[in-house]
Amino acid sequence: MSGEPAVVVADLRKSYGPVRAVRGVGFRVARGEIFALLGPNGAGKSTTLEILEGFRARDAGRAEVLGLDPGDRGAARELRERIGLVLQDIAVEPYLTVRETVTRDAGYYRAPRDVDEVIGLVGLTGQERRKVRTLSGGQKRRLDLALGVVGDPELLFLDEPTTGFDPNARRGAWRLVRELRDTGTTVLLTTHSMQEAQALADRVAVLAGGRIVAEGTPDDLGGRDTAGARIRFALPPGCAAADLPVAAEVRGAQVTVRTAEPTGTLHRLTGWALQRGTALVGLTVERPTLEDVYLDLTGPDTAHDTPRGTPPDTAHETAEGGAR
Amino acid sequence: MNPVTRRPPRRRDLAMLWHQVRYEQLTFWRNPQSAFFTFVFPVVVIAIFGVMFHGGTPSPYFYGLSALGYYVATIAAVSVLGACYSQLAIVVASRRQNGILKRVRATPLPSWIYFLGLLAHCVMVGVVDVLLILGVGRLFGVPFPGVARWPAIAVTLVLGATAFCALGVAVASLIRNAEAAPAVVQFVLFPLVFLSGTYLPIHSGAVVTVAGALPVRPFNEALLGALTRSGGFAWHDLAVLAAWGAAGAVVAVRRFRWDPRPE
Repeated sequence: MSGEPAVVVADLRKSYGPVRAVRGVGFRVARGEIFALLGPNGAGKSTTLEILEGFRARDAGRAEVLGLDPGDRGAARELRERIGLVLQDIAVEPYLTVRETVTRDAGYYRAPRDVDEVIGLVGLTGQERRKVRTLSGGQKRRLDLALGVVGDPELLFLDEPTTGFDPNARRGAWRLVRELRDTGTTVLLTTHSMQEAQALADRVAVLAGGRIVAEGTPDDLGGRDTAGARIRFALPPGCAAADLPVAAEVRGAQVTVRTAEPTGTLHRLTGWALQRGTALVGLTVERPTLEDVYLDLTGPDTAHDTPRGTPPDTAHETAEGGAR
Repeated sequence: MNPVTRRPPRRRDLAMLWHQVRYEQLTFWRNPQSAFFTFVFPVVVIAIFGVMFHGGTPSPYFYGLSALGYYVATIAAVSVLGACYSQLAIVVASRRQNGILKRVRATPLPSWIYFLGLLAHCVMVGVVDVLLILGVGRLFGVPFPGVARWPAIAVTLVLGATAFCALGVAVASLIRNAEAAPAVVQFVLFPLVFLSGTYLPIHSGAVVTVAGALPVRPFNEALLGALTRSGGFAWHDLAVLAAWGAAGAVVAVRRFRWDPRPE
């Protein structure tokens, strides 16, 4: 059982009229991992997620969630028993208290978690008797999260879970998601924050224009681990570009060296500088950040591979809900 | 095939239905606005009529009833309309818009339990409404109906409440924008209530014929019959009501959306 993946998606397709929102997406989520679908607004993240949640019907392709077909109405109740959902919009009855809201939803599950434990888990202890409408936005979002986990799900879907959070609340939510993962829950989340993907995810798939353009761990995504490092410093006074011991790009007084072997290159550069009795002012060594990779992957260049006839920007906007 | 089950599923579903009704009740009573419009409005109207027509004698204008005897029945009917049709249409439309319906859909709660829970809740509110109006009527001299009348009253109430709930959900399914819901609901109801003799008895044959084929007048008539006349079942009126309820249910099932954003 635990050997089989929690989610299997292959060649998934979905169009809204002429707009092809999801164009052949495939990935697997292993049990017990946090998997992030990362991408700009309109990339097809939410559509993919909503198909897996059973809210939307797919046009083609394979989708399996905990071994069940999310498009099969007969399996819907069984699937809902075993998954937890946190949707993009906060949707809670304003006049119930925190405790009543969680207790009501707990009653929908076969084997729910303890209500007080769940309230504690999302950090709402002490607020149990407050009416939902008096809660802050962040507290309501945490209540939403409580509703997602009260059924003790094997798999939790989070659709942009920290949008609109302040940095503190965001870190709190991340901690909670990691705790859930550590107790065996598989998590599939969407986000357009690279920071969130990097901080949280075990594996990331980057979506752009309805396709997966890269997949990997946050550290090796897009060849980030093996990509060349960038060494930068100011050209020492009295030196010309030709004097440098390695191939370099010189713009004004700024030298940039790209290298696959930063240790050796750096050694040669610093040795050269010491030998000449000068210094490498402003010396930095950088690897491409996840942000660099992400912008590379989802940038305007990628949009060109959208087939003719579908204006990418407008099309994706309509595809993924005008709510944002 | 597998004899091992955790709990008899049917019993679990019933427990879940009761659970759902309790939380519908809680949600309703906590919201001052819904409680106000559902209870205060009809009670105020019947109290005003009570003051106006206190001690009235039977007259042919009111089909041989006292004015208040007539109004207790029609205002009781209109209060059920408020509790079932108007409230439900507005609540469902706004829950959909707020994403609350989608959130419900995200849980294992079966939709039939959700809707049956709403229906049971609305019927309960309707019954409380009717009892309140009968109580106010009694203060102004309209006697409480005798025990023999209660079977017909109960059947009429439950059938009427169910039919108007179905129509409420149907209207909610046809409305796109929750802000428009109260206006649409009233726009449909207001002329219907007048044509059906709720506030003034209708003596025009043509209007009676037309209104008799629409849902409100048959409910008025069935309730009038159960409360005041021989106490029998108004089978013809009940059949018209049931037909409207079935039509509403078909539209509701076909057109219902859980998602605030259409696909």
